[in-house]
Amino acid sequence: MIGLVVSVQSQQIRSTREEALEWLNTVKLPDTSLYWPNVKNRLFLENLRINVIHPVGMYQGSSTNFCGYAALSYLPLNYDPLQYVKFMLALYTNGEANWNKVKFTPSPEVMLAAGTLHFKGVLDIHPADQMWFLVLADRFRSYLNVFHAKFHTGSENTFWAACNLGKFNRMVRRLMGYKIKAIGSDLLRPSIRDLYAYLQKAVHSGTTFLYVNNTYLHVKNHNKSRFGFPTHFIVLTDIQKEDDVLTITYWDYGGRTLRQVTTKFLKKILYGVTYIVNDKDE
Amino acid sequence: MNNKKGHIILCALITLLASSCKTVNIAHYYHRHQSILDSIELVYTHAYAHKPFSVEFTDRAFDRVSLELTTDTLTYIYEFWVGEDRMQDTLRKYGFDPAAINDLITRMRSVDCTWVNNLDYYTEERKHYLTYISLWPRTFNFPFVNKKYYILTYFQQPQYFDSDGNLLVGRKLRRVRKINAEVFRRINDRVCYTLSDRFR
Repeated sequence: MIGLVVSVQSQQIRSTREEALEWLNTVKLPDTSLYWPNVKNRLFLENLRINVIHPVGMYQGSSTNFCGYAALSYLPLNYDPLQYVKFMLALYTNGEANWNKVKFTPSPEVMLAAGTLHFKGVLDIHPADQMWFLVLADRFRSYLNVFHAKFHTGSENTFWAACNLGKFNRMVRRLMGYKIKAIGSDLLRPSIRDLYAYLQKAVHSGTTFLYVNNTYLHVKNHNKSRFGFPTHFIVLTDIQKEDDVLTITYWDYGGRTLRQVTTKFLKKILYGVTYIVNDKDE
Repeated sequence: MNNKKGHIILCALITLLASSCKTVNIAHYYHRHQSILDSIELVYTHAYAHKPFSVEFTDRAFDRVSLELTTDTLTYIYEFWVGEDRMQDTLRKYGFDPAAINDLITRMRSVDCTWVNNLDYYTEERKHYLTYISLWPRTFNFPFVNKKYYILTYFQQPQYFDSDGNLLVGRKLRRVRKINAEVFRRINDRVCYTLSDRFR
């Protein structure tokens, strides 16, 4: 399987993968960019092609706080890849670009940093993804970023890059122009009586994002006490129920995962749900 | 009386310090268990080449095992009791080799190995692989002491190190390499170690 879109029924595709690839084939880039001195044009174009052909492979990078921006990428890569590649090319050649009515004028620090992030797995050789994550983090700010206003070396791993639920929803609405329904918050879990029915309806409506506490979903140590707040965005693509066991399929950057959890467990880790709705569903 | 209390507090502090993970010599641990640790890497690498997967023990007793089974389309995450029939059925269903994975699980349990996985890393735009082995020796299981893990990385080719034994990016790029945000140190040309708060 190449793409990601599996069970979403009603969300419209704005441009196709073929259109994006055809357009990419016509592009001629200068050897170096004045604005992005550390982004090699060969790797940049290769990265864009990989993202269009194989969007499931986009990876947020090891130890970074880019998960919110990686989750957001699901929308353009699957539903509007042509707009995505045009935006990235404009950013590369002009140093600034617009998406919908949002203008991106990245800071000099971010322009210098793109292409230099390392020890992040495959993100090391994906300068276009580095640019994409960095400009999104640079452009969209929230209260989580207050004490980390400017980018410094290593900021991708800090609160400079953090993304909360409100900021994430704002990015989806303003950048992608989608209507969304959202429930939850950064600190308190939403009260959803029938979680399975709610999530199934969301998945069938459009792309569904879950804001979860990753210290339970992706355990990294055996400590009994763990943080009680959300840390991660994933894209839910399918959910099935048998007795009290939920089989969830989700995109967690780099690949799709299927696992079985109890309703109680999912309620425990879930802090927010955001999903795309069509006008006609309103 | 006050003197006695002081002694008790001092003893408690010494015990706590003695249980601190930094006092444990990982290189010594590696050499003591070298044959079994090397065999874990060997068995895992062969089984992984057949089909990619990772193994994680989720409990202190090393009775619950979580498998991440990677196929062309999905990564399946399932948790089992060690030796459970359901696990063998699942492995066969997705085309994995139950004998090799059972053998690996047995070896992992014998040295308190909590996770084994294959990681990719990049040097001058070229992709390389390493085997990442996390150990959770029982000596670390003190209450109120943060869990620490021994991490061993097995590289496929000899690596470069600085004079302090820190793992470097390469022969030309002589900056310290980080894996999972940790600095690693030399055990031998292909094997490095670190001590970490997290097993992955």
